[in-house]
Amino acid sequence: MNELTIAMPKGRIFEEAYKLFEEAGFDLPKEINDSRKLIVEAPEERIQFILAKPMDVPVFVEHGVADIGIAGKDVLLEQLRDVHELLDLRISNCYIATAGLPNTKMNEIAPRVATKYPTIATNFYKEKGEQVEIIELNGSIELAPMIGLADRIVDIVSSGRTLKENGLVEYEKIVDISSRLIVNPVSYRVKRERIREFVAQLKNELNKR
Amino acid sequence: MSKIQMFEKPLGMRDSFPEVNEQKEYIRSTARNFIRSKGYDFIKTPSVEYFETIGKASAIDESSLFKLVDNQGEMLVLRPDMTTPIARIAASKLLKEKNPLRLAYYANVFRSQRREGGRPAEFEQLGLELIGDFSAYGDSEIIHTAVELVKVLGVKSFRITIGHAGVLTAILTNNTNTKEQVDSLRQLLVEKNFVGFEQKLEEIKLSENQIENLIKWIDYSIDSKSLENFKQFLTVDQEYLLEQVDQLQRLLEIQLNDPSIVSFDFTLASHMSYYTGMIFEIHAEGSGSPIGNGGRYDELFNQFNETVGATGFGIRVDRLLEVLPKTVSVEKNTLLLFHEGFYTKANELAVEKRNNKERVTLQYIESVNDLDAYQRSFDEVLIVSEGGSLRE
Repeated sequence: MNELTIAMPKGRIFEEAYKLFEEAGFDLPKEINDSRKLIVEAPEERIQFILAKPMDVPVFVEHGVADIGIAGKDVLLEQLRDVHELLDLRISNCYIATAGLPNTKMNEIAPRVATKYPTIATNFYKEKGEQVEIIELNGSIELAPMIGLADRIVDIVSSGRTLKENGLVEYEKIVDISSRLIVNPVSYRVKRERIREFVAQLKNELNKR
Repeated sequence: MSKIQMFEKPLGMRDSFPEVNEQKEYIRSTARNFIRSKGYDFIKTPSVEYFETIGKASAIDESSLFKLVDNQGEMLVLRPDMTTPIARIAASKLLKEKNPLRLAYYANVFRSQRREGGRPAEFEQLGLELIGDFSAYGDSEIIHTAVELVKVLGVKSFRITIGHAGVLTAILTNNTNTKEQVDSLRQLLVEKNFVGFEQKLEEIKLSENQIENLIKWIDYSIDSKSLENFKQFLTVDQEYLLEQVDQLQRLLEIQLNDPSIVSFDFTLASHMSYYTGMIFEIHAEGSGSPIGNGGRYDELFNQFNETVGATGFGIRVDRLLEVLPKTVSVEKNTLLLFHEGFYTKANELAVEKRNNKERVTLQYIESVNDLDAYQRSFDEVLIVSEGGSLRE
């Protein structure tokens, strides 16, 4: 009864989030880390974890199949889903920026921008008053300027090493990114007390950091 | 773009197959009886309205409107909500005949979807409007009716969250410097983006005192502190707003059998910009989005050059369907198959059964290709042939 379903992103964010949960005093099963299971129960906490691709976490939460989720701000900005953003977990910090080959200008006739984040890129250039053509790629975005597919890329930068190793430089910073705790709007009301407890416990740990 | 296939429908458009259609019909008739018993009259309005009037007055974002052009070159819209057309009728005609006015509707509305599927672009809405009453009694009647209606329709577990657009605006205005700041903060509350809200406070460079006040107010709201605690955020001549909420709270306590389903939250904000007073949302287990919402929208009537109080709510039938248990049909379906030369006899039998309130399908047996498969969709099958009817 009164269970919470939490959608967790697989991969890098997961490990940091897991650590945060543990330090906040949640009693989580050990096997969650290294199993191929997609649904893991934490009976002591009456919590059920769903393991999903980071991009899919807001989908689960918006549709209400998960009450709570952990999602990067980049995904939230890109997908504009109807979820409540309750806490900045301050993990997986990075930022989104534009980058390209050094000392280059955008093509005047048809400036092209390659990105995994078409919405964020479109909005950024729109606000700057520039119309650009967006080319959507799924990975290795850095390739695009190197092989002449695009003048600029819009991508996540954490240490800047990937850019450097591929001979690219950062041009403009767009927005800071970190992981957020998101909640389904109905769960936020219907499971109010339970979610409030959960958030308070996490907040407590975050304030200590 | 790939060629549109014959089976495709425009994005967000849905068919209602018989089973769902029956369930909607049940909702419609149950709700209708209940709402009429409360003295509300049902009305219908056209599906198509002018963009200049309804399109602009409606609180639905312009990018969600279905637009078309008539043969005079006028821009038209498919109605995106029912509140605005009802305000049009009330202001131009019905209020002159009866005031206060109680109107209700069950109608489909249209909101275009640009993103992926999963959200309907046409859906039925069920709601009512009480026009011509400024009092908290009106607000209380609307919330109380919403609660009863949702119960009558069979929703087991649900909650009502009540806020107040006036209190929200007052608190935001008191603690910011420009209208743009108020709007941007309100928008973040609509999205319930508390992280963004706190960041925004720093970003727009409010004074320490302002930031402290707003954060305290959010914390108080989340903890549902009693009304007394919110006085500090309002000026003396704004305190009447809290008195309105207080009166509403007291009225609801008297009217509702179980006041615990109601909670007050002053951070509740709506994207419907015309709300001026109390606003509320109905959340039920089983649907990822609120099944209904409503509030006081006196401001809308300014656009129709009237000054009247108005309050109402709407329920999304599509979301209600997600919440309600699937009803198993108790109806018995009988199939009467007849052979060549027995049509008259079969007809007589069918009439007799229909008079007994049975649901009877009459079918010439030779026309059915797969008899076994066809018979499986019925509860009882009778074949009319020589010597009377045979039971199968």
